[in-house]
Formats: sequence, structure tokens, C-alpha cells
Amino acid sequence: MSATNKSSGFRFSRIMTIASREFRHTVLTKGFIFGAILFPMLMFVVIGVMPFLISNDQVPVRGTIVVADSDGSVARAIEIAFAGYKKPKDAEKPSSATAISDVLSKSQRGDLQGLDALTDITTTVEVTVRRMSIDDDLAAIRDQVQSGELLALVEIPAVLLAADPPTDADISLLVPSNSPAKTTGLFARVARQATVAARVERTGTDLAKALSLVREPRAETARLTSTGEHAKENLELRFMIPGGFMMLMWIAAFTSANQLLTTTIEEKSSKVIEVLLSATSPLELLAGKILGQSFVSLLMLSTYGAAGIAGLAFLTMLDIVPLMSLVLFLFWFLLAYFMVAAIMAAVGSAVSDLREAQSLVQPAMIVMMVPLLLWLPISENPTGWLATITSFVPPIGPFVMVLRTTGAVEPIPPWQIGLALAVNGVSTVALVWIASRVFRIGVLMQGKPPTPMELLRWARTR
Amino acid sequence: MSNIVTNTASEPAVILRGVKKRFGAVEAVRELDLEVERGALVGLLGPNGAGKSTAIRMIMSLIRPDRGELRVLGGDALDAKDRIGYLPEERGLYRRMRVGEFLIYLGRLKGLPRHGLTARVEGWLERIELPGVFRSRCQELSKGMQQKVQFIGAVLHEPDLIVLDEPFSGLDPMNARILITTVQDLHRQGRTIFLSTHQMAQAEQLCERVVLINRGEKILDASTREVTQRFSPRAVEIEPLAGVEAARIALESIRGIESVRTAEDGRTAVMIVDEHTDPHFVMGVALAAVPCRRIEIARVSLDDVFVRLVTEHGGHARQPARGAA
Repeated sequence: MSATNKSSGFRFSRIMTIASREFRHTVLTKGFIFGAILFPMLMFVVIGVMPFLISNDQVPVRGTIVVADSDGSVARAIEIAFAGYKKPKDAEKPSSATAISDVLSKSQRGDLQGLDALTDITTTVEVTVRRMSIDDDLAAIRDQVQSGELLALVEIPAVLLAADPPTDADISLLVPSNSPAKTTGLFARVARQATVAARVERTGTDLAKALSLVREPRAETARLTSTGEHAKENLELRFMIPGGFMMLMWIAAFTSANQLLTTTIEEKSSKVIEVLLSATSPLELLAGKILGQSFVSLLMLSTYGAAGIAGLAFLTMLDIVPLMSLVLFLFWFLLAYFMVAAIMAAVGSAVSDLREAQSLVQPAMIVMMVPLLLWLPISENPTGWLATITSFVPPIGPFVMVLRTTGAVEPIPPWQIGLALAVNGVSTVALVWIASRVFRIGVLMQGKPPTPMELLRWARTR
Repeated sequence: MSNIVTNTASEPAVILRGVKKRFGAVEAVRELDLEVERGALVGLLGPNGAGKSTAIRMIMSLIRPDRGELRVLGGDALDAKDRIGYLPEERGLYRRMRVGEFLIYLGRLKGLPRHGLTARVEGWLERIELPGVFRSRCQELSKGMQQKVQFIGAVLHEPDLIVLDEPFSGLDPMNARILITTVQDLHRQGRTIFLSTHQMAQAEQLCERVVLINRGEKILDASTREVTQRFSPRAVEIEPLAGVEAARIALESIRGIESVRTAEDGRTAVMIVDEHTDPHFVMGVALAAVPCRRIEIARVSLDDVFVRLVTEHGGHARQPARGAA
């Protein structure tokens, strides 16, 4: 009697043994550990640490700038701007001095468009403004700038202060060669805005009033859904969130399915397949391999997904991804993965090397690129006819449904979700069945790769 | 290792009746009838491309016959995978996998419990003279060592039926001897062994019965003893002390001798005995009549039978253009 006396029929334990090997031998490789685990973790750490690195990197701006203007109005405006500046955490109230100062100090809070030079400055700014007099030697001042004694020399052509300034006249800003880009940017913005302030002041118009008059009000769009709810419009998120989910799903599904293709070809070319098939049936082998790689893709999805969710939590934006969308996402992902995996496993079993696989995989890849092409049109109108129809077209349906369920303001009708699950679910089962028919013949075939017609014949063979 | 319990089922371990398999234009196996009794050690012989591996793959249910009946251990091989051990002709291992891990994986697939599996694998590695390779990667082993690892994979689960496709090809004499001894041990335990080979000496040494196929057809199915008797040249070889020519007249005068010829070595006379006379009788008379250095009944080798039958059957078969691996 043999050492094993259990029934040798279709056994789940065999499938799990194969799945376990497939999982371990994919996951415990340097490439996977770096690409699927360390990289997203690193990405998350970098995203989290970057703001601190950037803010800590800012050096205090301390020193003197020289302003050369025709009547001193710009120099005064600049002086007021810097004098009214307080570090944002200290600036509970706008400083009060002159009208220009009010305006400029208000700009620290970003209340007024156009005069927001200091809004994004988080470092210490202690700048003294000196107006260039007729006695000053321009060459000596340039030397002082060059040596770093002065922070900058700002020259304002008189024509820029005219009521109708020419478009070809520019402010000249000279800074030391080692001046940080943020500091020069700050000086340029303050100079530009102070010039505008001085120009307006010359006309006798109240700057604050003028800016208030020309300020464009913000428009907050809300979509009125069929249920009567107001859904806030966020253009960037409306495209980015569904796109992000779909890309994550696409990458996870294809990385694992591609691994399935590669390992099947390896098993075939190294002739180990016949040893395996003496111990297990082709269907068990296929099921184990697909299941094992599904664990790999779920792990990948988890690491990238966790990094993404942690990122959203960090930005206090978790509410933009409803829990139901995440639950449905898992279903769409599994359907997409099993469809792609079935195709890849069938192709892998039918060929002897990767080069041969290319010609058979290419048509499938072209089809699978469709969701990427449909990303923008479907995100633009997730309940439109294009989105609705493509939801029921396998194998792209699950990808389209992810775009729709994570991006739609208008809820997707439940019957569409149900029908898409049913159609794509049945298609997945059919594809896996066809793949198993091709697999059981393909894995033992050698020689030239089969044509698509031969693959169909294999699928029909009893 | 536990000894096999005698199987009471009367049905042979392997039954093929009228089995036929075609790959495109090539008929790999034609109307093959074959039975392997339980506990037997049977050799499947044939030249390259004769259809041996195709027949074995059908027995293993790796490929399906186009026609005919095929039963293994009382049913379909698919339903008895855990009771069958198989060493395929094409050797294959996971190159980067460690030897121990690979064998444990195969053992698990064959339904062996996890507990005690490591010790079982280590025991087999010792037995087959591969100590210390448990943690080695398969790709680090020599071809012969890889073959022995695969052999362990085929017998690790102590199967009732062991199917070995060219188990000794590519092995040096030392390793071949280790494998032969192990196969003999397994046979003594009562396991059914069905092996294909084209190395006649090993088949002759091992097999109780041989089946010869050529061009997909069975051309011989008999016990090794029967083959030797049936294809015996009915000749007695004698090396006379006085030389062949001096003894020729005396030898030709013995009753039942059809002719006497000189062998290629020039020292031996070969007496061809007619079909009504017992060669042993001739040997006794010749020994009394002619003083000699050596006298024996000429033996036929399996190799001679193989060449003769294959030649009579139209020579070597053609290789299929495309088919199962």
C-alpha cells in the first residue's frame, strides 16, 4: 500500500500547496520585496517627510535691499510690505499702518489676489529697504550685491509707474549668485506687487478698494444628484481618484498575471511540468498557480493601497473614498485579475518562450489598454452611455466599473452594478474554464507555437 | 520505509487494450495491448521514436488515447496519482529551488503529511547516496545528481505503481548501479514497476518481462526467460585443445548437428543443433569426444533479439513532427 491513501481526485489541499509555492517564490525575491513592498513604503515616507524637509530647508531672509525708483513710492511700498510681514503662525491679525500696508499685510492671508507675495513664506523675513539716492554709486552697490553684503538691488524704471505702462519695460533685480531661489522669487514678487501698489496709489485710488473691485469671486460647483443631494465638485479629485484606483488595479493585476505567464513558461521549458502533472491534474495546477498569484497581487494592492490611504489620512482627505467604493473595488479587482490571469496562463502554457508569447499576448494587451484610453471620457461622464455600455464588456468591464464607482457623483444605479458583476463574473468563469482547456493540452506541447485558431480548437477538445 | 501489503485486487496494475494515439500524420501508438501484473517488473523496450514515451504518458493520463481502453490500478491514472510514482524521460526541476524544498513540495502534492516529511526526504537522499544536498539549489547539482533527485521525487510517497521512463540514461555506471539496486529493492517490496529503456543489458538484468514496441506496435511481449529460449540460436560453442580443424570431423559426426563453423576468434567451433535435438545432449557427447578448454550453450542477448526484431519489423520508427513533449 502506498504511503498516501487518500482519494487522489480533485483536492483543495493540492491547490493550496501549489498556491503557497507560487506565492512564496514570487514574493520572496529581491525584485518583489523592493518593488511591491519597500517602494510604496519609501514613497509614503518621502511624501510624509518632504514638507518638513522643505520647510526646514528654508534659510531666514535677513539683510538690506536697495531699491532704485524714480520717486521712492515703490521703495516705500516694499518697505511697508516687509515691515508688515509677520511669520504666519504669529500673524493672527493683519498689521495696520497705511492703506498699502493693510493691503500688503492682508496679502499674507491670501485674501487678495495679486498681492500675495508673502503668503507662502514660512521662514523669518527681516529685510531693511534702502532707497537709492542720487549720491549712491551704482557700481559700488553692484559690488556689494555681488559680495553678498546687500540682499538685492531692485531697479524700477519710471515708465512702469505711469498710468499706461509699456509692456516691454521690466523691473531689474540683481541678487548675489548664491541667493536661494525662494528668496529671489520673494523679492521679485514683492517688487512687482509694490510697483502695482505704487502705480495705483499715484492715481489717488484706494488700492484695497480697487483690488476688491477687480477680485474674481471663487465659484463653488455642486452637482445636484437625482436624489437631490448636493455633491461638491472637485475637478482634480474627480479625475485623479478614479484614475488612481484603476491604475493600481491595472498594475497589480498585470504584474501578477505576467508573473503567471513567466512561471508557466519556465515550468514548461525546464520540463518540470511533467513531474508536476504526474502529481496533480492540469486544472489543479492552473487553479493553484492563479490562486497563488492572486495572493501576490492582493499583497501588492494592500501595500500600495495602504500607502495611498495613509497619504489621504495624512492630508485629512479620507472622506473622498467611501467605504462602499473600497468594498466594490475588491470585487472588481478580483474579476479583473482572474480574467487577465486566465488569459496569461493559457498563453504561457501554449508557448515555449517569452518571445513566442508576445505574439499571442499582444491582441489581449491591446484590449486591456482600452480602459486606460477611456479613463478621461469615463471620468468626465461616469453615468453616460459609453461608461454604461463598456461596464458590461469583458474583460474591460471591471476596470470601467472602478472608474465609475470611485468617480461618479451621481450614484451608479444598483442594477448596473449587479448586472456588471453578473456579466463579468460569468465571463471570468468562462475564461478560466477556457484557459484550463487550453492549459491541459498546451503544457505538454512542444514545437512551434499554436495559432489562435489552434488555441480555439484546444479549448473545444474534449 | 514500510513494506508493501499484498494487493488482493486481481486486476493487473496496468491494462491497455487496442490503444491508439496519433499526432498529426504520425501514428505514435497503434492498437497497443499490454498488461502489467501487480508486483511485476516489466520493461518497455523499443528504439527511439517507437512510441514508448507516448504509451507511458497515456498510462499516466498526461495525454489521452484516441481510441482504446486504458486502466491503471483499477481505474483512471488521474484518480490514482497518489499511488503512482513517475519519472519522466525529460528531466525537470525548479532550478532555483532547494533540493529538500523541491522534494517536500512533491511529497505534499502526492498527499504526504507535512509531519515527518523532512526526515523522509533526508532518508531517501542518504539512501541514494546524495547526502548533504538538502539545502543545495537544484541548479548546483550535476545532471546525474539531478536525475537521482527526480527519482526520489517519483518514489518518495511509496507508490504502488512506479513508472520510470529511461531511468538510467545519462547515468554513470556507479549511479546506474545505485538506481538498479533501489529499483530491485522496491520490486522486492511488492511494488509494480514499469520502466522503459533502450539499454538492453539493464533490462535483461532487471526485468522479469519485456515488451518490445516499434513504430507504435507491439512486436514482442514475453518473460525474459522465454525470450532467451525462443530466440536461442540452438548452438553449442566448443574450444578444442587441438584446434578447430582437428576436431571438426569428430564434431560433425555427432547426431543432431546440422553444421559446424569456425567462430571469428579462430579457436572456437560453433555447432548448430537441429530442432529435434537437445543442445545439452550435444554438449555431453562433444565433451566425451573432443578434449576441450571450454564448452557452453550459446546464449542470445536481449540486444541481439532487439536488433533482429526491429530490423525484421522495418527498422527504426520516425519521430513525430509535433506532439506531446
